[in-house]
Amino acid sequence: MFRKKTQQVISREQAAFLSRIQRRKALVLTIQWTLLFAFFLLWETAARYGWIDPFIFSQPSRMFAAGIQMAQDGSLWTHIGTTLWETVAGFVLGTILGTLTAVLLWWNRFVSDVAEPYLVVLNSLPKTALAPIIIVWIGNNQTSIIVVALLTSVVVTIMSVLNGFLQVDHEKIKLIQIFGGTKLQVLAKVVFPANIPCILNALKINVGLSFVGVIVGEFLVAQSGLGFLIVYGGQIFKLDWVMLSVIVLAVLAAAMYEGISLLEKKFMKWQE
Amino acid sequence: MRPIVSLDNVSLRYHSVSGETPAVSHLNLEVLPGEFICIVGPSGCGKSSILSMLAGLLSPSEGSIRIDGEIGYMLQKDYLLEWRSIRSNALLGLEIQKKLTKENIEYVDTLLEQYGLGDFKEHYPYQLSGGMRQRVALIRTLAVRPDILLLDEPFSALDYQTRLSVSDEIGSIIRKEGKTAILVSHDISEAISLSDRVVVLSGRPARLKKIYPIQLTIEEYSPMKAREAPEFREYFNAIWKELDVHVS
Repeated sequence: MFRKKTQQVISREQAAFLSRIQRRKALVLTIQWTLLFAFFLLWETAARYGWIDPFIFSQPSRMFAAGIQMAQDGSLWTHIGTTLWETVAGFVLGTILGTLTAVLLWWNRFVSDVAEPYLVVLNSLPKTALAPIIIVWIGNNQTSIIVVALLTSVVVTIMSVLNGFLQVDHEKIKLIQIFGGTKLQVLAKVVFPANIPCILNALKINVGLSFVGVIVGEFLVAQSGLGFLIVYGGQIFKLDWVMLSVIVLAVLAAAMYEGISLLEKKFMKWQE
Repeated sequence: MRPIVSLDNVSLRYHSVSGETPAVSHLNLEVLPGEFICIVGPSGCGKSSILSMLAGLLSPSEGSIRIDGEIGYMLQKDYLLEWRSIRSNALLGLEIQKKLTKENIEYVDTLLEQYGLGDFKEHYPYQLSGGMRQRVALIRTLAVRPDILLLDEPFSALDYQTRLSVSDEIGSIIRKEGKTAILVSHDISEAISLSDRVVVLSGRPARLKKIYPIQLTIEEYSPMKAREAPEFREYFNAIWKELDVHVS
């Protein structure tokens, strides 16, 4: 009756099946890399042969050169560091604050009923519209940028985590009550642990949202950061900087997403 | 003998926006220590509500309930927490009641060993079969050493074959541990094979219709053997008739 992964001698059919899957996987990966490489190659060629104007489209070799130069004088690391710090602070705070608020609303159903229409409206409001207000209130500094990043993710976190809390099987809650458990124990033993996947999922979504907040914030106030580099580069027609920043942003976002996926795997070893 | 559980003229009504629903009506019942009682009735008649009242999760609208002892409750499904190991699931009740003493933990380990789960302590629920999971749920209930076990169709989520062997197994464990048990079921065979008395309820609101004391002539009792007793069919037919099941 016990199901466990056991090491077995595999049949020829099974081997053929496995190798088919392996081959498909390899093919997908090859095509993915080829596409990426071809894109940059085409870009570079188009710029070299004058099909596009490298002054406004930039070109990979110039971006690369700009990147090397900025890495050497250290400015690249400052910009990346600034943006990274603001983003991480934004989505970590957004997730923690959102989860705490969800706990509060779960705890007191009356408050959550009262808050519901406000949450719905706040959720559909583009939070970046609040950025200028935040800057006026908090000032022309990094804190403003982090607050804007936090705002982009906090409401959606509250809503999705609260929804997860409310969807916990009622019988599991009854299980705790049968043993005489308190509401705090229901939260600690069932509702919260059952929603760790949900919270990690929120964290994943918040990475992307937080980047949006940070970049918009940097457009408005910053003296450093990739968003600043994009705006500044655009203003002085240094498209190499702009394109480079966009690519670095893409790499950062992907890396953070992967990082959270790893965290997810670590926390969810109990899953099939 | 003084009854360990007694319900005195108990009624229960549910309230919702659309109105008031009577679930249980003027129920009288006494259960003696060590007795195994089965409550059968048409589905939705309010059987589970009776258990919820006994467990203290609901208060009766009228009448009174007296219970001499600790209650243990087994739900319809095992409801093992997926993120906890088997051992940690079995310890859940003790953890909640803050009774994680060395002695109690040893007791749980003994139960796990005794009932064939010794090698699976550090496994996760998804790695176990339905029958094994149900045994873990029983151990979780037994861990807090209840005097009275409430079982709410604990086998209904299992397939027929597993269900037979699990009900046999769990019935035997409960007898062996000398517990008083109140089982709710809609399976007449299960009720007869497991219990000392079968309580038949009417449709909603649940009213007491009849109580059948079960006496089977078998050499050595086990729920599986009970099904082979000559009286089994008679009881079955009588209860079936009393339940008055209409198949349309």
